[in-house]
Amino acid sequence: MNLIAVTILAPLAAALLILLLRRIPGALALSGATTGLLASLALLADTGAGVSHEIQLPGLPNLPLSLIATPLTTLLSGLVAIIGGLVVVYAIGYMKRDDEKVRFFASMLLFVAAMQTLVLAGDWILLLAAWELIGLASYLLIGFWFRRPGVKSAATRAFLYTRSADLGLYVAVFILIADAGSSDITTTLNTGGGAATAAGLLLLVAAMGKSAQTPLHDWLQRAMAGPTPVSALLHSATLVAAGAILLIRTAPMLPDKVLLVIGIVGGITTLVTGLIALGERDLKRTLAASTSSQYGLMLVAVGAGAPLAALLHLLAHAFIKSSLFLGAGVFQHSRDSTAFSELHGAGRDRPWIFFGFALAALALTGIPPLSGFFSKDAIIAAALISSYAPLFTTFVLASTLLTGAYMARSLRILWQGNIALHNIAGLAWMGAALAGLVILAAVLGAAFPAIEAMFSDPLPGNNVAVILGLVAAVVGLTLGWFVPAQRLLGPLRPWSQRSFAIAGGFNTWVVRPALATARSCERLERALYNEVLALGRLGLNVARSCERLERALYNRVLALGRLGLSLGQAVRLGDERGIDGLIFSLVRGVTYLGSRARRLQSGLIHRELAITVVVTALIFATLLIPILTF
Amino acid sequence: MTPELFPALITGAALFGIGIYGALSQTNLVMLLMGVELILAGAMVNLVAFWHHLHPDTPAGQMFVLIVMTVMAVEMAVGFGVAIARFRAIGSVEMEEAAELKG
Amino acid sequence: MAMISAQTFFISFFGLAAVWFGVVVFRTHSMMRSALALLFSQTAIGAMFIGMQAEFLGVLQIMMMATEMSIMAIFMVMFMMDPGGLGKMDMTHQKRLSVITGLVAFVAIVAVAVFTDWGPLAGSVPDSAQQTEDLGLELMGRSMLIFETAGLTLLTAMIAATAVAVEPIKRNRD
Repeated sequence: MNLIAVTILAPLAAALLILLLRRIPGALALSGATTGLLASLALLADTGAGVSHEIQLPGLPNLPLSLIATPLTTLLSGLVAIIGGLVVVYAIGYMKRDDEKVRFFASMLLFVAAMQTLVLAGDWILLLAAWELIGLASYLLIGFWFRRPGVKSAATRAFLYTRSADLGLYVAVFILIADAGSSDITTTLNTGGGAATAAGLLLLVAAMGKSAQTPLHDWLQRAMAGPTPVSALLHSATLVAAGAILLIRTAPMLPDKVLLVIGIVGGITTLVTGLIALGERDLKRTLAASTSSQYGLMLVAVGAGAPLAALLHLLAHAFIKSSLFLGAGVFQHSRDSTAFSELHGAGRDRPWIFFGFALAALALTGIPPLSGFFSKDAIIAAALISSYAPLFTTFVLASTLLTGAYMARSLRILWQGNIALHNIAGLAWMGAALAGLVILAAVLGAAFPAIEAMFSDPLPGNNVAVILGLVAAVVGLTLGWFVPAQRLLGPLRPWSQRSFAIAGGFNTWVVRPALATARSCERLERALYNEVLALGRLGLNVARSCERLERALYNRVLALGRLGLSLGQAVRLGDERGIDGLIFSLVRGVTYLGSRARRLQSGLIHRELAITVVVTALIFATLLIPILTF
Repeated sequence: MTPELFPALITGAALFGIGIYGALSQTNLVMLLMGVELILAGAMVNLVAFWHHLHPDTPAGQMFVLIVMTVMAVEMAVGFGVAIARFRAIGSVEMEEAAELKG
Repeated sequence: MAMISAQTFFISFFGLAAVWFGVVVFRTHSMMRSALALLFSQTAIGAMFIGMQAEFLGVLQIMMMATEMSIMAIFMVMFMMDPGGLGKMDMTHQKRLSVITGLVAFVAIVAVAVFTDWGPLAGSVPDSAQQTEDLGLELMGRSMLIFETAGLTLLTAMIAATAVAVEPIKRNRD
């Protein structure tokens, strides 16, 4: 069995089994995820040793589908598999009290399979298909608790945001395939000139959508309405990573101008969303804004010309953010809310969980020897040596400062408060998963040199970068711990709470036009419907008048029939009375005559003799008349 | 008009008329039979007259008379037989009472 | 008065006698006398036959009638209510009709007899011996069938009369 096939098919098969059997969803999910994980790690080992795998499937004519295992793709595949597996373990505990485990685990595993396909894709068509599938999985998972208010709109919003941005991807792919004549990604990376620029910008648009960059960052905030495992897996480590992955993979192709634009977009995002995170009132939303910010940082790294740095930061950030979300999930179960107002002192309830959370937070800020330090350091170094060093360096340092600030603020709120100990179901599972991720987040830095060896490009490193990064991080942490958010943000706070919406934001730019179009279409359809009804009524009227006509004819025919019947009756009467009368009168006449003639039959002999004589005489007279010779 | 025949024929006619009168007017069966006798006698007279004056060579005329005579005799015999039977049954031979065949 | 032959005279005389006796038959009240009157009437008719040179027939007539009338007389006495005729009851019915019918018949026949041309009269009559011989030959020859029939009829009549006249057998009703 090809390892690539197992990596993708194991979670998919598990998802189907869960749907079919509808029992032991947790166990099935875990087995599917584990199998995929093992296959993925084997793939990684193979690629590290220099062996590459490939699967080719028949697709469109001259555009076959393919899955390839290169250092980049297998690294990402390993990332997806590890985080996926640990989040499934966490989810078994998190969802212990929930009734719809089957739907949840099936959707999660579907997502894992689709994500694996996306990272391992060798050609654009398969990548596009996987891109769509992860969007669908995100919609299903964000809207998991669809009966709660606001959840459905959050899922739809997320879907629409990313969907509009996906147009960019479609056009970019079209341009690339048309230019290169093949859908193979590696081949298309040779595109140059105007096509590359156009494709690059459009790919950026798609990345902005998927990775929640400004101005498309709002959907990620709303997406926190889903269950915490979903946030941990999708909206920190994998789905939102898809945008960055896209840019990292196509980085060789992108011309300088495009890189500049990418860097600027990433920089603006990191600042804006960092400020949002600082002013947020909800723990998970803070983490979501932080995610956007970190991805912005990755885009800056790509713009600075160091996609490897971006990749390392992506890997580190994935583990860190997942751990942060898992910890947040425990606090959520503990206090039944994610709002900061409820979470004061939640850290003191579960010290070990808080310890893990704090460790991950420090890693994010960039404190050595945690993994985040190494990746942040690489990015700062890359910014320093890039063509637009001042701009990019400002972005990166400001981002580091803000990261420290909002993470410290979250830690302060979680620590400073009263203990309110609740019993949490499945804490063992959750704690185990969290521990795994935190450990990985902490020690991944040790693996970075090995990863660096897999690629041909060296990683930038600079002592100045190290010092600058550390200073910025410490300043940020101090500010966040000691200074409340109002003072820090000042007049920007209300605007930030609206996630810096411009001129009404998404509502005005997208929602209202779309709804207006939908309404006018509905009016048109209604008009058509009425027309059709009118036609139908016309037809009915025609039919009714025909029916009336037919009834009239029927009545006429009946009348004719009755006329015939009465005629027949008259004839019968005439026959009965007329002819019968005639015959009866005849009979009466004969009877009368007979009774009269009877009187002759007196029986008296003399009378009869007399009659005889008279009649004989008459006969003789009659006979003799001719003989007489008068 | 052949006057030679007149006496016989007129006698015959007279006898015939008297006979009819008697047959129709008598109440008694025997008297009625007498009337019939007279009728037959009148017929015989006529026959003989015709034979004698017109066809003396034809013995068939006399034959006819013999037949009539036979008829007379037969009729009398049967008639009296009936009279006896009737008398035995009813006690009289009056024609007035003989209405059994009234239809 | 033209010369009437003796034959014609006798015929007329006996004819009148026959008619007169015939009338007497029905006019008298006595039954005996009626029978006798009838006898005499028939005898007169026989005499007429002889007068018309039909001797055989005449003799036959007289002999037969004599016997018949005698028997009739006996029957008269047997069946008549008033054989002597001593009562004055009128034993007739439908008198007017009978009289009229008789008269009409008489007149009609006389009219026919008088006004018909009976054809040429014959010459002579063969003598009696010849007549009898011819009659016998006629009887045995051409008229055999007639007489055989007559004989059969006579037989039937005799049997019938006897059967009718015989007293019915009294059945034993035990």
